[in-house]
Amino acid sequence: MPDPIFEARNISKRFGPVRALNEVSIAIGAGELHSIIGENGAGKSTLMNIFCGRLRPDTGALLIDRQPVHFSSPKQAAAAGIAIAPQEINLVPALSVAENIMLGAQIGARICGGAVIDWKATRAEAIRHLHEVDDQIDPASRVGDLSKAQQQLVQIARAAATDARILILDEPTATLTHRETARLFDYIRSFKARGHSIFYISHRLDEVKALSDRITVLRDGALAGTLDPATATREEMVTLMAGRPPSAMRQEPRRIPGDAPVVLKVTGLTRPGEFQDLSFSLRKGEILGVSGLIGSGRTEMAKCLFGLTRATAGEIEYFGQKTRFTSPLQAIQAGLIYLPEERKQEGIFPLLSIVENAAMPSMARFRGLLAMRNREMLAEVMDYIALLKTRIGSPRDAITTLSGGNQQKVIIARWLMRDAKVLIMDEPTRGIDVNAKFEIQAVLRRLTEERGLSIILISSEMEEVLDVADRILVMHEGRARGIVDAAGESQESLLKLAMT
Amino acid sequence: MGDKMNTSRASLFSLQRFWRWEASGILVALVALALLLSIATDNFMSSYNISAVARQAAFVGLVALGQTLVLMVGGIDLSVGAAAGLSAIVGSIALTQWGIHPWLIVPFTMGFGLLIGAINGAFVAGLRLNPFIVTLATWEIFAGLTLVITGGYPIRPLGEAFGVFGKGEIFGVPVPVVIFLVAGAILIWVLGQTRFGRNIFALGGNRDAAVLAGIRVRWVEFAAFALAGMFAALAGILYASRMDAGQPSVGEGWLMGAITAAILGGTSLRGGQGSIVGTILGALLLAVLANGTVLLNVSGFWQRVIVGAVVLVAVLVDLLRRRSN
Ligand SMILES: Nc1ncnc2c1ncn2[C@@H]1O[C@H](COP(=O)(O)OP(=O)(O)OP(=O)(O)O)[C@@H](O)[C@H]1O
Ligand SMILES: [Mg+2]
Repeated sequence: MPDPIFEARNISKRFGPVRALNEVSIAIGAGELHSIIGENGAGKSTLMNIFCGRLRPDTGALLIDRQPVHFSSPKQAAAAGIAIAPQEINLVPALSVAENIMLGAQIGARICGGAVIDWKATRAEAIRHLHEVDDQIDPASRVGDLSKAQQQLVQIARAAATDARILILDEPTATLTHRETARLFDYIRSFKARGHSIFYISHRLDEVKALSDRITVLRDGALAGTLDPATATREEMVTLMAGRPPSAMRQEPRRIPGDAPVVLKVTGLTRPGEFQDLSFSLRKGEILGVSGLIGSGRTEMAKCLFGLTRATAGEIEYFGQKTRFTSPLQAIQAGLIYLPEERKQEGIFPLLSIVENAAMPSMARFRGLLAMRNREMLAEVMDYIALLKTRIGSPRDAITTLSGGNQQKVIIARWLMRDAKVLIMDEPTRGIDVNAKFEIQAVLRRLTEERGLSIILISSEMEEVLDVADRILVMHEGRARGIVDAAGESQESLLKLAMT
Repeated sequence: MGDKMNTSRASLFSLQRFWRWEASGILVALVALALLLSIATDNFMSSYNISAVARQAAFVGLVALGQTLVLMVGGIDLSVGAAAGLSAIVGSIALTQWGIHPWLIVPFTMGFGLLIGAINGAFVAGLRLNPFIVTLATWEIFAGLTLVITGGYPIRPLGEAFGVFGKGEIFGVPVPVVIFLVAGAILIWVLGQTRFGRNIFALGGNRDAAVLAGIRVRWVEFAAFALAGMFAALAGILYASRMDAGQPSVGEGWLMGAITAAILGGTSLRGGQGSIVGTILGALLLAVLANGTVLLNVSGFWQRVIVGAVVLVAVLVDLLRRRSN
């Protein structure tokens, strides 16, 4: 093991009653990629936020080149050579890509001691860093106009632009396409080759195994063990993360009877520039997976079905009736619900509590004679919270006190509580740990069987689609490439269908 | 301003780019209104009238420049009017009683304004208190102190030598207007070309991201409030010079004018977006509106109704502009 250039000793951190980290010690050597894995709420992001100066540990010490350091702001950590691309996207939407990359690090002209910006040099530097990570993003475009994946890449370029020697990547690939991911891995390798180090966090275990020099597992805020990626198996990783062997939770393939009523029938749906000529049907109790690369028009289609945008051509038949929802409210009242892919911006009410976030759209159901029937509401929320294995303190805490993955689970609970007839879920398990992912998949299956719910499941993870869906709609560049039965397909056959 | 780095690509002038610009709507409105008034009245375009309008715009406009900075970092400063009044009084006293040289009075008063603006800044940035509440309180305090010091009576006369700042002209342009435009130009440069300026956009656009980028957000926020105090003081002392009196009532009515000018010019109340050119045009539009109602013999009471309606129209136009982009 190389000499550590950075070391954390016995780090502990509490948030009120929640013990997020407990005596965690970890080190990284020059040129090493050290992965941190663990279930949602295990403390990964908290630890990384301490490393980069966003949080301060309650106890414990950080050492760089064996010298103790104290960071009271991200600026100090950056000066010491540590930069982070955080889990949540954190950019200034109104500014350009180039400017976001160089935020706080613009190059000064020689006059006025660097207070005046040399735009030409700054822009050139920004483009140089951007191109290391991606060559398709226009550096002049506004960050707010980019897709989530592109924003993620800009964020990584931002971190890289600080000339850090220790880079922290907190779930960098969650939103990326295959091509972008491959490109990012190239960058990671070249960064390592320069003798720099990376802390890498991901729920994609195959990725972790392929990239890492060392894997550390966190469980409930404490070190659960260290693994050697050369020999560690997926099962070992999951066992260490959960503290028990993985339950075999693959879903059995099933067949929806041909005489089950069609609840949603889409014919020739078109919105220029987003998707063309989409036709498919969804039966009662069916899960229709929608597979395809990011940018294939899947989210756009979902938003259109939900009444957020208008199609220019095509028909939608909902329970046998020709319908065009003109607002989400109409869709929700008709029992069609959409769970957006970007939870932070479109999903959560950051100032409200966990219960309120979960129960918000179902409040009407708990209206009593004089006041809300709060106890019933709480009970039902807690049922779903438990069902989805959500790690929370008190349900009255603000939702922002939860880890990223646990926030996602609360949002899923929100829409499961609602008595929906058709549920469109956009990347529901992104950022969710392996075990919880299986739980959610099982819950979805059960809801279709018990309640006759129909689900459109948009997911970039082909494994997931193959596992839970009954049929799969494959999309590419806004067009349907085919609809296939999930049973009998494989990742390769799906990819082939999408690409050819 | 927001897309500083865009300029390299799109052609220098295109309708689309113009439309994307925050201040495009107000420029069109201002030109249209000026055309209308020059047709409908005989003396709108007279040089005397134009310079009167411009001077009127300059006072509120200077206050609005500072307010724009505060709004852009996501704050609001309700105390600017009262700060202008208090500063004007302190400047007048310094001139008449402490014997400070008339030429030094303007920088002295600006320094004083910076100081009382810094009080707001210290509470808002240092202690992270809500700017609305803090400046509501300091508004009362500044206005009250003004009355305590003066007993409600104006301080006059301020003397011939000092009158040049409010009444003088440079090549036929009133001095306050020159100062207003120069201040605007400096701010445009600061916001576009300096780190401090870009940090204002970053802080207002996404505070977390700014912190993470190592920007000293508290300092930037503090400075914005201090500068707002400074600009208010500048407007106040220039106005005193013009009236040859430090009147306790100097800044009354400037607060609404300043916020309105900034919003008309496309500054977002949520922060992160704004344009100095827009604010300058906004102040001009307000002055032209006031002037127009007088020239057209509309009752002064209606003026407020009209201003309110114009603000609503401007907000609607801005909504359409953002939708179409
Ligand atoms: N600001 C906060 N206030 C209160 N509790 C918090 C706060 N931030 C994190 N926590 C708690 O600390 C624990 C660890 O959270 P952390 O975000 O580090 O998890 P994580 O391992 O990154 O999970 P995920 O995979 O879901 O991102 C969680 O139980 C979370 O609820
Ligand atoms: Mg996390």
